[in-house]
Amino acid sequence: MTPARRTVRDGHRHEGPLSRRRFTLALPSALLASGCAAPHQGTGRPGDPIVLTLLSHYASGELKAALQGPVDEWNAAHDRVKVRTKAVEFSDLLTTFMVRQAAGLGADIIHPYCLWNGQLVRAGVLRPAPPEHAEEIRRGYSEAAVRAASVGGTVYGYPTEVQTYALYYNKRLLRETGFPGPPRTWRELEEAAYRTSKRDRYGNTLVQGFGLSTYDDSTTVGQTLALLNAAGGRFVSADGRSTAIDSPAGRAVFDLERRLVTAGASAPGVNVYRAFPSGQVAMVVSAGWWTGSLKSLMGGDYREVGVAPVPVPETDDEPATLSTGFMLGVGTASRHPREAWEFLRWLNTEKTGARGAKATRMSRLQVSVGTLTGRADDMRTLLGRGGDPNLRPFLEALAYAVPEPNVPGAQQAKSLLRKNIEAVWTGQRSVEEALRTTRRQVDQEVSRSW
Amino acid sequence: MVNVLAPGTTGRARAPETAGRRAADARGRARRRQAVVAYLFLAPALLFFAVFLVLPLGFALLLSMSRWAGFDLGGIDPVGLDNFARLFADGSTFLAPVLTNTLLFALGTVALALAGSLLVATCIDKLRFQGLWRTLYFLPIVTTVVAVGNVWKYMYEPGGLVNGVLNAAGLGSVAFLQDPDTALPAVVVVQAWASVGSAVLILTAGLKSVPGSYYEAAALDGAGPLTVFVRITLPLLRPSLLFVCITQFLTGLQSFALIVVMTKGGPGDATDVAALEMYRQAFSYGDWGTASAAAFVLFVVVLAVTLVQLWIFRRKGEDA
Repeated sequence: MTPARRTVRDGHRHEGPLSRRRFTLALPSALLASGCAAPHQGTGRPGDPIVLTLLSHYASGELKAALQGPVDEWNAAHDRVKVRTKAVEFSDLLTTFMVRQAAGLGADIIHPYCLWNGQLVRAGVLRPAPPEHAEEIRRGYSEAAVRAASVGGTVYGYPTEVQTYALYYNKRLLRETGFPGPPRTWRELEEAAYRTSKRDRYGNTLVQGFGLSTYDDSTTVGQTLALLNAAGGRFVSADGRSTAIDSPAGRAVFDLERRLVTAGASAPGVNVYRAFPSGQVAMVVSAGWWTGSLKSLMGGDYREVGVAPVPVPETDDEPATLSTGFMLGVGTASRHPREAWEFLRWLNTEKTGARGAKATRMSRLQVSVGTLTGRADDMRTLLGRGGDPNLRPFLEALAYAVPEPNVPGAQQAKSLLRKNIEAVWTGQRSVEEALRTTRRQVDQEVSRSW
Repeated sequence: MVNVLAPGTTGRARAPETAGRRAADARGRARRRQAVVAYLFLAPALLFFAVFLVLPLGFALLLSMSRWAGFDLGGIDPVGLDNFARLFADGSTFLAPVLTNTLLFALGTVALALAGSLLVATCIDKLRFQGLWRTLYFLPIVTTVVAVGNVWKYMYEPGGLVNGVLNAAGLGSVAFLQDPDTALPAVVVVQAWASVGSAVLILTAGLKSVPGSYYEAAALDGAGPLTVFVRITLPLLRPSLLFVCITQFLTGLQSFALIVVMTKGGPGDATDVAALEMYRQAFSYGDWGTASAAAFVLFVVVLAVTLVQLWIFRRKGEDA
């Protein structure tokens, strides 16, 4: 018989160990407490190790293994501070940051896409890098990487994966139409695009001269911004409070893309990322990560793939392109920021390897999965001997690339720009109208006071 | 008259009175116990509704009048009706094209699905192996939206099945999902195709409930098939049609997954709908206030449309 039932049978109240009322009150509280209890960041007992959580999108395959390697190395060598990795798919990364932060479960170390940095800083999710780390970051990385990891001039983390944009081209298709090498200028680009494109009698695209991707915001906007930067233009102003695309450079890029679509050299409906490996696209502007995918997809045919800097409008124009990237920063929710920054310094700045081949663990990690970091010295070391020659243009672009804007509202600005780019391609809006609409919509978003 | 008990009878009378009170107390206790048990049984459901309906609704209402980036609950900043004003401000895309697309999408879906399901249900009603036909038409319902969307996307692509048929007929290819003029209708067709199955089930059940004597009488009077359909079948199917109409319209207004899979709202904003815009505002842009305000505007639209539909059908003498 339970104590509660005995109390009832006796007909009077006992102050027993657990009355019915107490049990009724205690049960939901106990359930709530057990259900909502936050996982420990270490046990908190003196002498026990501190456990730092690292939340990234390196969730599967070689990316997961590549990050786990150095983390295991750290854990084996350090008794006081341990690191535990948590990973979600990239598409869930920002949402996971939001949900965990709102629930008070923010990770110690986070790996955001630099485009979100303004949003994360505004929301108080990222800690500024301590001065000694900030100094180390400014000294060791390319300017584009440092700017991507900074908001309003303050550095918020160690740049990791850096992507620059360049022109991929199919050597065979260009050769067959009389082009011995890749185009250097927009005039050459257009000529090559028109000559290589083919359609059947029903209007189906057989070969696109110049591929324009509609796959997502990043690919659609990335290729356009790479061309815009190559034309000397910028998407947003230096202070990040207004758009700068409504300019001669912006007009030139929109005009170029519109001409290519209208003339049938580009078919935005075709998935460029499937068509290029099949030899159905002659040229496309994309980021460096794609080389790894192309190698595995194309096998021996990869030798027909070449990479060159993004063409510029005129021969004597300075080269420029877009760079995007990720960084590792410390969250405001971390109870052990000093230890977190120490781990990041170890991962991102300490050089290992044989003499003459020394590089940071992060650079090794990124190169092992076919991407670059913003450490030009490491990249020269790691890619110098027998590396894929197609990675060279991406490496060289680190010196002149323009970082993707990361002001608050940058993600929304990017989506608005994509809509307007597609409106130009499909003829929904004229070039002038699209530039005006982009300016009005983006200005409204980036200038909002938060 | 004053009823006074004689002193001698008081003791004897007290005993049944006490017994009566005890019985009443016992009944009261039993009722209370029953009530407690009833509430205990109801508690999981009430807790479920409180946690998953009342709480989010209240939170969404709060957010619709606040500015919140989604990270820190302490950072909810009240802004009154600013978010609603922003939705309808000059230059905002929410009213046009987002809300317009949503309504066109829902209307197109209802019209196509209703016409298609009515045709299919009427045909099935006259066929043998009706269960088999109903199952076949119901199959899209048990298929995931992602699979449906991707298969149709490939079919619409230049060089896909649909364009292959057009080409075989000597016609040029159509960039269904890439042309802003055809993208929304193309997705509407898929949504209607995917929802025909459930509508067919409801309408075939409705057709079964029409008494055969009506058709016999009509046949005796010499009514043709069209007259029978318009004068007998359609009016008697009205309750089922009302149900299908309302549920399809609600599904259409809240559609999200199919559009994400097939067009992601593009090209441009040709297929951008309210649910997709809300998702983007909240989860991509971190603007939960605008997303919640948009959700409440959509709620008002859904409520208004449903009430109008009910009113129209009730005027015709039907009740949902």
